[in-house]
Order: sequence, then structure tokens, then C-alpha cells
Amino acid sequence: MAILDKKKSKVSAGVQMASTADIAFLLLIFFLVTTTFPKDKGLSIVLPEQGEEAQVSQRNILHLIVQPTGIVDVKRGESQQMVQMRPSEIDGLWRQEVSANPNMIAAVKTHPDAPYKFMVDVLDALKTANAERISLQILEN
Amino acid sequence: MPIKGGGFQKKSKASQEVPTSSLADIAFLLLIFFMVTTVFQSDRDRPIEWARAASAEKIDEKQKNILNIWMERDGGVYINDQPHTMEQVTAVVGPLYAASERALVISVRGDREAPYVWVDQLQTALVNAGVVRVVFATQLEQSMQRERR
Repeated sequence: MAILDKKKSKVSAGVQMASTADIAFLLLIFFLVTTTFPKDKGLSIVLPEQGEEAQVSQRNILHLIVQPTGIVDVKRGESQQMVQMRPSEIDGLWRQEVSANPNMIAAVKTHPDAPYKFMVDVLDALKTANAERISLQILEN
Repeated sequence: MPIKGGGFQKKSKASQEVPTSSLADIAFLLLIFFMVTTVFQSDRDRPIEWARAASAEKIDEKQKNILNIWMERDGGVYINDQPHTMEQVTAVVGPLYAASERALVISVRGDREAPYVWVDQLQTALVNAGVVRVVFATQLEQSMQRERR
């Protein structure tokens, strides 16, 4: 019995602790480098400064009237002819319009009761088509 | 041949090496200190349903230069965790904008079902406060989702 009890091992009984700090730092640096904070996303616009609302010739305006149902009435300049569209069709239309007239301005007129999301849809379509001259207005009466 | 140092060996009891065993402790202490003192966001998120847009871009601005204006479905306007009325927005945003030396970007976080009339009122209030850069904060919509809609 006594002989069996005297088992000897060459392997050290304690776990190697010397490199713990190194491992911890390695993990720390790894996560520091790989972490990306979620950045806010959005559609950025530049508001006109107070009293600097410019007057634009009707010829260069494309009226986009957003109705509460989400349907967009498209009206070109002074003409009374209206075309109804879905917001997703506007980017194609805008590309056509701007190639015909580079000075075109999109006037987005939203009905007061229309949900915000429909205005965002139209703005999104215009941004997709790289529109830069956009005017956001509210539909009066 | 004279012996260097005149035959005297300089002996020092102090160890030649800097003790480095406590280095890790110091580093962790610093780490924990900065973890505890770091503040990420000043205002808490309001419960809104985000509008979605496919062409949403990342706002390329420092976090401290972004002011969030939350607009809830029932018309509640929140700036820095404080509820405000639409009439107060100009008075609240104006000084903040001036203090930031006109670098402030306003992130409008509207509920997707909020009627547009409030967005328009907010926009007018921001123009009156002199704000130029505004972002309509949205969630990114994949073009696949758009086609399904």
C-alpha cells in the first residue's frame, strides 16, 4: 500500500499563471480593435438659413405631392397635368427629369395628415437618384 | 595600464531592473477606471418605430455634435430626455446650437406614423433656431425588403 501512495509526477501541480496577463491583454486588444460602435444612419439635408428662401422659376420645379395614402402626385412646373406614382417609382422619374433639365428642383409637398414615413420614402427615392436640390414643404389647403 | 575606476568596483544594492510584476495590475486599474467613467450616450432611446430608407448614410459627425430630437407618434417631443412642446424647440435648440459654434447636427428621430404636420413644425422651429444641418434618422432598409413591400 505504502508504495502505491508515493506516486510521483514530473508535471507541476499548479497551472502556469505567468502568461495570464498576456492572454488577458491579447483578448482586450483584440476586442478593442474589432469593436465598431453602431453609427446613426439617416437622410441628411441642409436647411435654408432664415430668410434665405430662394425664389425659383416654375419651369425648374418638379412638384411631388405626398398624399395621406402614400400615393405621390407628380406635377411638372406650371402644367396642371398630374401623374400618380408610388414612392419607389420616383427615383427613375427623377433621373429622367434631371437629365432633361439639370437645374431641376424637387419640391416635396406633404399633406399635413400623411405619415412621416411616406415623406421619408420619397426623400429616400430622391437620395437614391442622387438628387441634391430638394425642397421640403407642407401641402397648404 | 591603469585600472579603470581606480580599482574600485562600484557596487549598488538596488536592482538594475525596473520591477514589472505590478504592471498588469496598474494597467487593469486604468482600464477599469476608464470603463467606469466613460459615458457613451447622454439621452435614452424613446420608444419609436423607425422610418426605413435604403439610401440612409452614416452620419459622419462626432457623437457630441449630434443632438437627437425624438418625435413620438402622439406628438411628444423629447430633447435630452426632457419632454418639450413644439413651441419650446427653438428656445431649447438655439442656445445649444450657438454653444457648439454652429457645428451641431440635429438628428430628427420621428415615429414613422407621426403626421407630417409635426415634422414641418419641427423643421420651422429648427430654421428659426438657425440650424442648418439636419438628418432624418432612419433604419437602413435592404433593397430586397423594399421589393417585397
